Amino acid sequence: MMRLVLALLALAASGAASAQQGAPSADAPKDAATPTQSATHAGMGHPAAACAEAKVDCAATAVPAFAKDGRLWVAFSVGKSVYAAASSDNGATFSAPTAIATVGDGVIDAHGDARPKIVALKDGTLLATYTTRPDKQMIGTIFTARSTDGGKTFSAPQALLNEGGQRFDSIVVNRKGRIYAGWLDKTHALKAKAEGKEFLGSGVAFAYSDDGGKTFKGKSILIDHACECCRMSGALDKDGTPVFAWRQVLDGNVRDHMVAKLSADAARATATRVSDDDWAINSCPHHGPSIAIDAAGDWHVVWFTKGKKRQGLYYARSLDAGKSFSEPEKFGDDARAAGHPTLVAAKGRLYRVWKEFDGTTTTVAMQMSRDNGKSWTAPRVVAQTLDASDHPELIAHNGAAYLSWLTHKEGYRLMPLPRDEKSAAAPQ
Amino acid sequence: MDFKPYGRGAFGQLTKAHAGKPLIVHYWSVTCPPCLVELPQWAKIAAEKKGFDIVFVNTDGDDERARAQARIEKVGLSRAEHYGFADAFVEKLYFEADSAWRGELPFTALVAPDGGVVTVTGAVDDPLIVEWLEKRVRK
Repeated sequence: MMRLVLALLALAASGAASAQQGAPSADAPKDAATPTQSATHAGMGHPAAACAEAKVDCAATAVPAFAKDGRLWVAFSVGKSVYAAASSDNGATFSAPTAIATVGDGVIDAHGDARPKIVALKDGTLLATYTTRPDKQMIGTIFTARSTDGGKTFSAPQALLNEGGQRFDSIVVNRKGRIYAGWLDKTHALKAKAEGKEFLGSGVAFAYSDDGGKTFKGKSILIDHACECCRMSGALDKDGTPVFAWRQVLDGNVRDHMVAKLSADAARATATRVSDDDWAINSCPHHGPSIAIDAAGDWHVVWFTKGKKRQGLYYARSLDAGKSFSEPEKFGDDARAAGHPTLVAAKGRLYRVWKEFDGTTTTVAMQMSRDNGKSWTAPRVVAQTLDASDHPELIAHNGAAYLSWLTHKEGYRLMPLPRDEKSAAAPQ
Repeated sequence: MDFKPYGRGAFGQLTKAHAGKPLIVHYWSVTCPPCLVELPQWAKIAAEKKGFDIVFVNTDGDDERARAQARIEKVGLSRAEHYGFADAFVEKLYFEADSAWRGELPFTALVAPDGGVVTVTGAVDDPLIVEWLEKRVRK
């Protein structure tokens, strides 16, 4: 047995050489998960999915977007199909969903941080994105599909890229209608592996579209070594360019957070570290950050860490466009495994929500700030469930903020968040 | 090979079933590259283990199980005891192993013969895992 322990230590020392063993081969076929325009699905879902029907309540994840006409759209997947469904009553009921795609082989990334998404453009166009992975490889392909008829039909999905490997897209649209996409890209990692070199994590890649998502230009990996299993988050800065946040793999396998402001042509990204948490770990947290930018142009970031310097959920803000960040401020209850924080800015108010679990009940807790994140109301429970649930999502529309949460027992819920401190602080 | 369903209460059932003997419960996923990189090392531990039991729990859903099985076969772990997450209420499954676990992987529970649990987030070369294995050697 001692031999085994020594062998382990030796393997640890040679970890550099083996670090890419688990990565898929560079010449893997990319067409294995080509989607088709079929509404049928194979019925193979995540374990104990609520049900197998083509409706949002049967999905594991749901991402909302308000369309110009006031309808709430939700992107989700059930089995091997991706759908979008609309609600005219803020999520109480949904019309029959529109099938966006069905994958013949492989899986749709719709679990934990990975999820199909939808954004609504000013001209009424809906842009849906989702990621597929073939059965035998861990290589993702991001697809986009558009609807220009109010969600009745979607265009044949197009791969954002046909080689490499992409996951965790984040879409940000500016006031002029330019669409920015950020995602995590394995291309450099696959290349390094083919050359027998070490490469930790994924690249951070960007592109933009000026034709409503029909085509994306300037696709390029601008930063390397993002943690490959945590979501990216994006927000629009005051000047109309986007800012993205993600978990980076820094020297010494430290998995702390970075933000980057993108140039208008998506060709340059200026990255800074949000916080020195010193989480040195060779693991997948499966737990990405969230960024929001308020009307004044202040940046706000929330994240999870188990670093040497701090553990739990943290918040920091930057008043100088990312040059510096405030001292991280802890929130959430560690005794209840606080996790999956997200935040949103809505008309002079900032909201942050996160999940807590006490062994029986999962709670979404909320705090509001009316002074750009300097102070926050006491945490208040805004929703609960006694069974499986999605991560909480926040969405702002017409100056109001909403919690969007899909739970196994209750189904999909869209809940308006309080607008004043008094009701925000009131016990449930 | 077979993945036994790992649902609510599974962690307690496992520790009970293995009571009196040290036990390692190792959690992994095909969506976790570090897990896949170190799986051969876990296969070696499982093959050479003496005086303790080891159980592997795949935290993926049914739609990833074929991929998980291929990985297990590739590293020669087919004969080990395997479980697969069979419940979407993952918070509950995490909580039962460690109330502070949010699902980060790889994750390993080191269970003493009396049921005492120490958990480790991260790789197999973590000092806690190495020490635990060394201790089993001295015994």
